[in-house]
Amino acid sequence: MIQHHTPGGLGAAESSRTAPFVEISQLSKRFGATVALRSVSFDIRKGETLGLLGANGAGKSTLIKILSGLQPATSGTVSVQGEGREFTSPNQAQQLGIVTVHQNIDDGVVFGMTVAENLMLDTLGLFQPNPFLTYRKIRRRARALLEELELELPLDLPVEQLSASDRQQVSIGRALAKSPNLLILDEPTSTLSSREAELLFGAVRDLQYRGISVLYVSHRMSEIEELCHRAVVLRNGSVVSEHQQPLDLRAVTQSILGDLASTSLGAGRQHAPGDVVMRLRGVRSGKETAPFDLEVRRGEVLGVTGLVGAGKTELLEQLAGTRPLESGVITLNGSEYKPKSVADAIAKGVVMMPEERAVQAIFPDESVSRHLSIGRMGKVSRLGFMDRARERSFAEQVIAKFAVKAAGPDAAIETLSGGNQQKALVGRWLVEQQSLVILDEPFRGVDIGARAVIATELHEYSERAAVIVASSDPEEVLEVADRVLVMVDGRIVSDSPAFEMNSEALADAMSEVQRTTTSGAPQS
Amino acid sequence: MTTTAPADVPTASAPLPGDEHRRPAIGPKLAAFTFKYGLVLVLVLMIVFFAVTQPAFRTVDNFLFILQASAVVAIVGLGATVSMTVGGFDLSVGATVSLSVMVAATTMVKFAMTGTTAILFALLAGVGVGLLNAFLIVIARIPDLVATLAAMFLVNGVTLWWVNGQSVAVGMTIDGKPAPGVFTEVFEWLGSGRFLGIPASVIVSAVVFGLVVVLLNFTRWGRALYAVGGNPVAAEAVGIRVRRYRVLAYVISGLLASIGGVLLVARLGRGDVAVGDAYLLQAISAALVGYAVLGANKPNAVGTLVGAVFVATLINGLTMFNFPYYAQSFVQGALLVVALLMSYTLGPRRRR
Repeated sequence: MIQHHTPGGLGAAESSRTAPFVEISQLSKRFGATVALRSVSFDIRKGETLGLLGANGAGKSTLIKILSGLQPATSGTVSVQGEGREFTSPNQAQQLGIVTVHQNIDDGVVFGMTVAENLMLDTLGLFQPNPFLTYRKIRRRARALLEELELELPLDLPVEQLSASDRQQVSIGRALAKSPNLLILDEPTSTLSSREAELLFGAVRDLQYRGISVLYVSHRMSEIEELCHRAVVLRNGSVVSEHQQPLDLRAVTQSILGDLASTSLGAGRQHAPGDVVMRLRGVRSGKETAPFDLEVRRGEVLGVTGLVGAGKTELLEQLAGTRPLESGVITLNGSEYKPKSVADAIAKGVVMMPEERAVQAIFPDESVSRHLSIGRMGKVSRLGFMDRARERSFAEQVIAKFAVKAAGPDAAIETLSGGNQQKALVGRWLVEQQSLVILDEPFRGVDIGARAVIATELHEYSERAAVIVASSDPEEVLEVADRVLVMVDGRIVSDSPAFEMNSEALADAMSEVQRTTTSGAPQS
Repeated sequence: MTTTAPADVPTASAPLPGDEHRRPAIGPKLAAFTFKYGLVLVLVLMIVFFAVTQPAFRTVDNFLFILQASAVVAIVGLGATVSMTVGGFDLSVGATVSLSVMVAATTMVKFAMTGTTAILFALLAGVGVGLLNAFLIVIARIPDLVATLAAMFLVNGVTLWWVNGQSVAVGMTIDGKPAPGVFTEVFEWLGSGRFLGIPASVIVSAVVFGLVVVLLNFTRWGRALYAVGGNPVAAEAVGIRVRRYRVLAYVISGLLASIGGVLLVARLGRGDVAVGDAYLLQAISAALVGYAVLGANKPNAVGTLVGAVFVATLINGLTMFNFPYYAQSFVQGALLVVALLMSYTLGPRRRR
């Protein structure tokens, strides 16, 4: 056995789990000028379940890609059982006993094939002296595998007819067929319902029982608390903290979110909440969550925060007509509001800037000016004909008001930086009168300067209309909001004026964990 | 400090490895120039060359002849262009030309109805095919390519079945008796008539071209069509009714194909079986050549017209040099390759 150092304060773990299986040392990864990982060091011990936490863009996925052999590291080493290893392909990683189940369940299964065929997928590509393969043979081997794993799955059913959690079981079964020493689960519950997640937790406990190490990547604090022996937090590409069971959830949350300023930036701002613009009664963020009431007023920027998956987007999309209303009644300016479509919502003055700019808002190769017209073509056309002069003057107005750095209205939008794209896309809604403007993660990939411009304009605009800003970063919310809602697992757990809050208090509220399960920390 | 600095997302100044804009070795400026004006320049040089070397080429009559020869391809190609603006592809346009040829011929010859009625029925048939495509693609959610492939076979089959696989010509025998009807004046005018010396088919294609240019470039509906093709998710997010615009695109495509069919049957003076099938590939190739015109790099009406006229001019000029007719396919292929090289190899890299 190879000698290794034990970091201080870890003596609590029993001896059977102290031997490291994988040691990551000084691992860095650069993409051009961007540093995705900087000198990351930690180890994963034999038989332990290690939680890996971090906000979007913290470097989790880069780290997983390196560990599973999909990307080479720029510098640093990964040792497996004490030996330094170079991973250049997923195959190599698997030969060393590291197998990854990726986030998207359906990336791990092939539709149109039966469960048995899916379980045996990895053996199909291997060289075998006998080139003939019958379904019977595949089925026999698949059955043997399921028996060995003590899993029960319908072998002859096409995989697409399985539930999400059963499909995940197939992926995990496939992974276990490679008899891994370390299984990496990348956000395994992100597409599961809470009942299905329970099934997964059972499967993870089973892995622990077999002595297989697990690297469990998740945004959800409750899962980390329930399943993991230890947790490592990544932020901006560095390991910022390590936590032992029992986890101090408040410390973990703060560590994920970063250095929290102790005072609210919005505190100094004067605001007077005005008339109620939108009133929600018995609305839910998802099918399984509790209904709540909410009032959105003119004269204040309403911030909504919560960890990824807390239900912010699901709630806001119902207001913008993207998603049908789960339950309850909404009134807009006193009359009932039930948007049939996005177009209907826009016509009623409710506009939403979606979360993923590149996927949900950018038309490749089109000009800035066209992006500014696209959602409001009725205002820049006459009898269906585009009014180019009006279109151009509107574009120039937005560009000037929001200080958009662009070669001109006709420049392709992709030639602008992320911040300038965002200023233009937000600006198109803020020049004219709306009832409610919703911005989902408006500061993602947006530089400080652009954020300041957007925040200032939002404040000014909130005098005229209701404004909602959602972000999983409490700092960002405090930067713009006058009133802050915190969501946890689809519920609103806190609603208070921004000047009463600071980011630490918000982080505390965000880390409040709904304990739905009876079992606490994992048994060792 | 905040935590949202997206370390995983490379900034614009630092592209991911392997994502470099690989420009060809000829230098970025020349590449950009070729991308934008290359094809038009080739067309102009070609016209000048033919005009200088062949006296028969540089007559007004020959010029009008070229336009006449490209009229049907241009109109059908414009329809295909509209289907491409929504990110689709209409493989059934050739079959629709055949169908409307037969509908028009049968209406007049077998049922002895007027030319106007024949045109109306032919256009309705085209709209019908468009609606069938729209149903398969938008409602049944079958991918464009395979849905319109199936529609192509269906439409071809229905056409042949209906006329018992026979061509429809004036004076043909039906059940032992001569067919009652004739091609009426309207069709004679469409086939060989002129207005102010300009052939009727050229006038019709000019009108269709004008309407499509206006639709795609000057109306909000054109904007919406391109938006749907550019990013359907983003289009939906700004309130564009994506499904409706995809229906509209396929209906326009079917309608224009049937206009092409009416012009074709008028020129031929008879309803030949499967005469429209060849127009599928010519129309699609005109639309694809059009990507390379003036650096559009997307389906566009002006480009499609240039693509259609380009082929007709090339074949017309080469024929004067006694170029064999059976090599026309090669010429068309060569032109398409050159155009695709210009838009894909020299054009700006698309992020996919």
